[in-house]
Amino acid sequence: MATTTETARSEATAQVTLRIDGREVTVAEGTTILAAAAQVGIDIPVLCHNDRFDPVGVCRMCVVDVGARAYAAACVRPCEDGMEVTTTGTELEAHRATLTELLLSDQPDPREDPKETTTADNELLALARRYGVGKDSPIPQAAGRGVDLSNPVIAVNHDACILCDRCVRACDDIQGNDVIGRSGKGYATRIAFDFNDPMGSSSCVTCGECVSACPTGALVNKPINGVPIRPRSELRQVDTVCPYCGVGCALTYHVDDQRGAIAFAEGREQPGSQRRLCVKGRYGWDYAASPQRLTVPLIRREDAYPKGPLSSAVRGEMQGGADGRGQANGRGRKPGGLVDYDEVLPAFREASWDEALDLVARRLKEIHAAGGPGAIAGFGSAKCSNEEAYLFQKLIRTGFHTNNVDHCTRLCHASSVAALFEGIGSGAVSTTYGDVANADAIIIAGSNATANHPVASSFFKQAHRRGTTVIYVDPRADRLADHADIYCQLKPGTDVAFYNAVMHEIIRLGLVDEEFVRNRTSNFQALAETVSHYPPERGEQITGVSAETIRRVARVFGEARSAIIFWGMGISQHTTGTDNARCLIALAAITGNIGKPGSGLHPLRGQNNVQGASDVGLIPMFYPDYSSVDDPQIRERFVRAWGDAELDPARGLTVTEIIGSALAGGVRGMYMLGENPFLSDPNVNKVRKALSKLEFLVVQDIFLTETAEFADVILPASSYLEKEGTYTNTDRRVQLGRKVLDPPGQARVDWEIVQEIARRVGLPWSYSSPREIFDEMVSVMPSYANLSYDNLGLTGKLYPNDDPEHSDGTVVMFGDRFNTPDGLAHLVPAEWLPAKELPDDEYPFVLNTGRLLEHWHTGTMTRRSYALDAIAPRAQVFVNPQDAAEHGWEDGGRVRVRSRRGEIELELRVSHAEARGNCFIPFHFREAAANLLTIDEIDPFGKIPEFKFCAVRIEPAPAAPRAGDGHAAERATAEALSGAAAGGAPTGTAAGGTLSGAAAGGAPPGSEAGGAPTGAAGGGAGAR
Amino acid sequence: MAGTGARAPGREARAGRFPGPSLIPSLNDIQRRHGWLPREELERLARETHRPRYEIEGLVSFYPHFRTSPPPRVQIAVCHDLSCWLHGADEQIAALRERYGDDVEVEVREVSCLGRCDIAPAAAVDERPLAAAEVAQAVERERAEGHHGHERADGDRERERSGGKRAHPRFEGILRTPRQWPNDPYVGLGPEDRYAQARRMALGELSGGEAIAELKDSGLRGMGGAGFPTGSKWEIVAAQSAQPKYLICNADESEPGTFKDRQILAEQPHLVVEGMLCAMLTAGIEQGWVFIRHEYGPEEEAVRAELERARSAGLLGEDVLGSGRRLEIEVFTSPGGYILGEESALIECMEGHRGEPRNKPPFPGVNGLWGKPTLMNSVETLAAVPIILARGGAWWRAQGVNGGVGLKFFAISGHIEHPDVYCVPMGTTARQLIELAGGVAGGAPLKAFQPGGASSNFLGPDRLDVPLDFRPLAEAGSMLGSGAVVVIAEGTDLLAAATNVLRFFSLESCGKCVPCRVGSHKAHEMLTDALARGGDTGAIEPTLARLESTLRLCSICGLGQVALGPVMSVLALGRNGDAGG
Repeated sequence: MATTTETARSEATAQVTLRIDGREVTVAEGTTILAAAAQVGIDIPVLCHNDRFDPVGVCRMCVVDVGARAYAAACVRPCEDGMEVTTTGTELEAHRATLTELLLSDQPDPREDPKETTTADNELLALARRYGVGKDSPIPQAAGRGVDLSNPVIAVNHDACILCDRCVRACDDIQGNDVIGRSGKGYATRIAFDFNDPMGSSSCVTCGECVSACPTGALVNKPINGVPIRPRSELRQVDTVCPYCGVGCALTYHVDDQRGAIAFAEGREQPGSQRRLCVKGRYGWDYAASPQRLTVPLIRREDAYPKGPLSSAVRGEMQGGADGRGQANGRGRKPGGLVDYDEVLPAFREASWDEALDLVARRLKEIHAAGGPGAIAGFGSAKCSNEEAYLFQKLIRTGFHTNNVDHCTRLCHASSVAALFEGIGSGAVSTTYGDVANADAIIIAGSNATANHPVASSFFKQAHRRGTTVIYVDPRADRLADHADIYCQLKPGTDVAFYNAVMHEIIRLGLVDEEFVRNRTSNFQALAETVSHYPPERGEQITGVSAETIRRVARVFGEARSAIIFWGMGISQHTTGTDNARCLIALAAITGNIGKPGSGLHPLRGQNNVQGASDVGLIPMFYPDYSSVDDPQIRERFVRAWGDAELDPARGLTVTEIIGSALAGGVRGMYMLGENPFLSDPNVNKVRKALSKLEFLVVQDIFLTETAEFADVILPASSYLEKEGTYTNTDRRVQLGRKVLDPPGQARVDWEIVQEIARRVGLPWSYSSPREIFDEMVSVMPSYANLSYDNLGLTGKLYPNDDPEHSDGTVVMFGDRFNTPDGLAHLVPAEWLPAKELPDDEYPFVLNTGRLLEHWHTGTMTRRSYALDAIAPRAQVFVNPQDAAEHGWEDGGRVRVRSRRGEIELELRVSHAEARGNCFIPFHFREAAANLLTIDEIDPFGKIPEFKFCAVRIEPAPAAPRAGDGHAAERATAEALSGAAAGGAPTGTAAGGTLSGAAAGGAPPGSEAGGAPTGAAGGGAGAR
Repeated sequence: MAGTGARAPGREARAGRFPGPSLIPSLNDIQRRHGWLPREELERLARETHRPRYEIEGLVSFYPHFRTSPPPRVQIAVCHDLSCWLHGADEQIAALRERYGDDVEVEVREVSCLGRCDIAPAAAVDERPLAAAEVAQAVERERAEGHHGHERADGDRERERSGGKRAHPRFEGILRTPRQWPNDPYVGLGPEDRYAQARRMALGELSGGEAIAELKDSGLRGMGGAGFPTGSKWEIVAAQSAQPKYLICNADESEPGTFKDRQILAEQPHLVVEGMLCAMLTAGIEQGWVFIRHEYGPEEEAVRAELERARSAGLLGEDVLGSGRRLEIEVFTSPGGYILGEESALIECMEGHRGEPRNKPPFPGVNGLWGKPTLMNSVETLAAVPIILARGGAWWRAQGVNGGVGLKFFAISGHIEHPDVYCVPMGTTARQLIELAGGVAGGAPLKAFQPGGASSNFLGPDRLDVPLDFRPLAEAGSMLGSGAVVVIAEGTDLLAAATNVLRFFSLESCGKCVPCRVGSHKAHEMLTDALARGGDTGAIEPTLARLESTLRLCSICGLGQVALGPVMSVLALGRNGDAGG
């Protein structure tokens, strides 16, 4: 079943033979002289070219003599049969020296050169040294083209720019962001962003690909948090993987050991990400060095009971939500939006690890003893490693005999996984995102991939440019719409109708792959019957996409020789999420688009390890490797594998069900590892109530989260950067994350903490390393067979993998049969159903929620990253320009958004991406938590909440003075220019230093008796 | 497998970067509506076309035609290049700046060659060409008639309605009555007799192969400057199997001193159009364009009128003369810039990109407009085709003298008694041509001349008897180039003249490649500095020589390759100390 990405080039390429510096070389026709010379070890100097880019031949450094009137640029000139090429010699070298001299004449002094004073790898200066060219040249020197420091993390120095166009190609051809070009003409030409705007206020997404491409000091990284950027040789390199999204880009951190901090990051070669990074990966790593890290175990003070939210912002929201009218409490609404440590810490006291762990074990055991297995539940995290997730679920299952263990996959792709299991017997992707290069056509459905999977999206955009037809189906016309051949702005929640109509037309046109349907699928007739009721005209009626467009989509997709469907939360986060995914599976199957190169199903995974966490069993219905908990034979296998463990034969509760159970008094004790449901779960007012009701909550995290306000014990954990472990990306690539820094203070690595608790509840665990845990994990997971820490290598391996020593692993799955018992794909027809809460006169807008490029989930990491916070500092609601104009709402004005469940106040942003009647709010911002508004209706199969659809009302907010309104970039610009760049700590310094210092300061002696902040007591009262 | 976006070997990454339709027409449209390009309009254009903003910025900032600020009531453009400079352009510009410096309604801009070297110093008021001396009067008239920013929009709409870009009254009286020229086979015949060769070809009486053979026999070479044999060029494109193929008449003549194509377009548009029709019929091309510089408004009108006549005569349209052949010719008005005369830069412009020349190969004949085989000839070359096909290659060959082949148009300007366009036998000497044009102005002794436009090396009086032809001029250390003879009388500072020429190339450099972008600018700075310090070039000559050879050998296109040539030729001639001119 294994195939690889390498597709043999069938057409035989003609060969040409030429002589380069007297040496005969035979190469394929079309090979450049530069490449041919390299083959025989002849190195030609070059500035504007490197192997990542298609050539432009503008710097002329690589000119060679081909016997013509003028020289040819070797980087772009194809070899010809019989050509005589001279690449070196006094004359050629003299010209190269003159070219270097010309370029040098406008450069900054090397002592002040932005590149030479940081990474010291200025390629022009290297050539200047080689040719002995310096500032003593008779060519007039010049300067003054200007500096642009408006981007928080990238500095532009136009004097240092040699117009090699590498940044232009990096921005366009590699990342597809299309921001940088040439402006002006002749000597006055310079690189420009958009309409020659300051970089910081342009449409630049700060991926930094231009910086990595720039050979001179024109585009360089700025230091983050004052950690200077130095030559690589003076720093320690750690090859690891990005901690953010499911794309799992390989990167290298350059670590300053003197300062114990990362100086900068670079993309690393790996078959998937190919050295690319996005803003989060390249610039968003400094959260780990935040002064707000938890460094000591904390236990809630006696006087901080009864429990409730501690920070005033939250209490204000609680009141607002409780009476449904939203008396927004002005106190505590800080623009920074993070938990106010000053308010929360006084409710806790420091403890030793032993005291804290003993307390955790004792209370959980007591609750378990009193309430039975159903009284305990655990939320693991998709940000933790495979090993941590494996241990966590093993602890909950074997220590508390319950399957009440889940994680945020419930909030992202649970419905996709449900449909995939039902349809093809496997929840993982059937092919990699890189396989897009082999696809004739692709559908990107309900995915704002440029924000959520930026590097994967760069491959989509690149494929589009190379001829893949891109069909983009999403209610929001975000940046991908600019890269689509067909863009379908369907109405929210009408996906089933859309894809049914497409299938209707495919069947009508006879574009069904009859053979595939006959041999590889079942239930086609039922599907055909259902979609027969969805002619394109009806599709248009329901979806708003014209029948003509639906027909075009059908024809393009049906006629494609190979096609992939990528999808995101826009498909899954609906009450019809499973039905939506069923339609996509059926569409791929009836056109025969699974199991061959360039075809398949790819739900784009959100978190860096959501695939892995699910794989290793961090879900209530499956043991590791999707082994059903309710299958007695399977259970017996795990009973044995886990040392005669006592396992619960019933499925556990899901995330949303656990919240409901806690409210109802079922679940009474919880272990929360790195999850922050306070912000991430729908209808958070309900979540808050549930959390307050818990008898015992232990939160293991790296920051004081909103959820931790409700904790009895808080355990200081390690960030991604401080530990070793494996992570499985959206492609099924298992990669090794390596330790970069030491944990701060007494913080401990997570697997150790889990093991400590396990031992204290009586489990005989003695793991000595993540490697040992991985080996045990693999032993119970046939899909991961053959993988080990030793053979993952620097670039990880795809599973399944028969021979990890020699193979990257399986790209395309299901070449012969599916994982279902009968080996067939089960086509499951779905009828379109409207969303649960439709807009009406009182709540006329449809609210869509999701992520921003710069932020990650509840913002605990990203909002503590200098770069990410500077670029996207505050919550906004995105509204169509006509809607805004009609209501008189101004871009940047304050509005109040209200639903039947709560209300928030935030800035309005006029956005051409939104259709009329829709609005979008990112859910990262605690001070304007989108999930106060969302509805907690769930999909009946995947149990996933409807994050993408609820009815809201928007109205102008009561006037409140606010400093610094305006666009994020402007603020970033102002900060960068004023020199605030160096700071980066998001809040005041009170929380700085060690936690003990902050705690001591916040709770002076004697405060315990009656000096607890009034807020704490009030909050407690409010919670009851 | 996807792969339709594959690059042609050797075609660099940026060429054809934006595959969609050109945005230049949309920008023209916005500018027509507003008189300039407001940012909101550009943002809307980017959004609605799903094209990057930087692409629009790249175009708007590259082409001088586009404005990003509202226009003044009256726009004055004055040429400052060689022929005009020889006639006191600097003083005229200074005077106009003095006069209108405080006048917010009037904008005075120095511009590169307007192609009106015969009325030097040449100027334009709101795009209407005139002699600089007439500017003040024209400004007052414009003010009186209200041809300013807002109303211009109406004028432009009027042009659009009339099918032409420009309204008639503005150019009235500019074009002279056509004269009789020796290259016109229809002299003495009525308009209905024209297009005889195109008719023969359309009706199958003359095959493409025969036409190519005749052209080869004639020895006709490209008159745009490069001198590539025309018959071979047609043959190459005719042999290409890729479809569609395109024809472009390069009417973007913009080199200082050069205005012969302008006169051909004005007086013999029928020969140009017929040459194009013959080329299209020969090479299997349906679509052709006349790519004309925007400064040639009156001539563009003449071409458009001729195309209408050809259409009326059944020579353009879906079914030409019942042959079943479709032939279409459109006019593409250049958004400005000398560099667009370079064939690959011209193609980049037509595709909607910055007019930056491509690395070659591939050549346009194989991989041209939109990656398709593209036949490109200059105005003069195409205008020679009808008579060659009518009278035969041998007849054409016999027209030359001193070993030359055929007839040649020359524009002569500078210090000359009767600056104008002359059609003479190829091989005529410079002395004969200067005499034909009435001799050096005022009977002054000749100091030097450029025989082939701004990019040709200066020659001294000792070279007056060199035949004006490809090889003899090359052997004399210069070139036939664009057929523009610039005459410089004794008393002119040649170094200053050469520096003037270098400034032209430096300002017109597209900026794509390093040697031309930086080298031409730095060399100009060095020369300007030397001139300011009395003109001693001793210290900078070694550096200039070094730069010249690097520019000549390493630049992508001809502009950079020749930019420093004239300067070096002047240094070689030896500089005469006396200033002025």
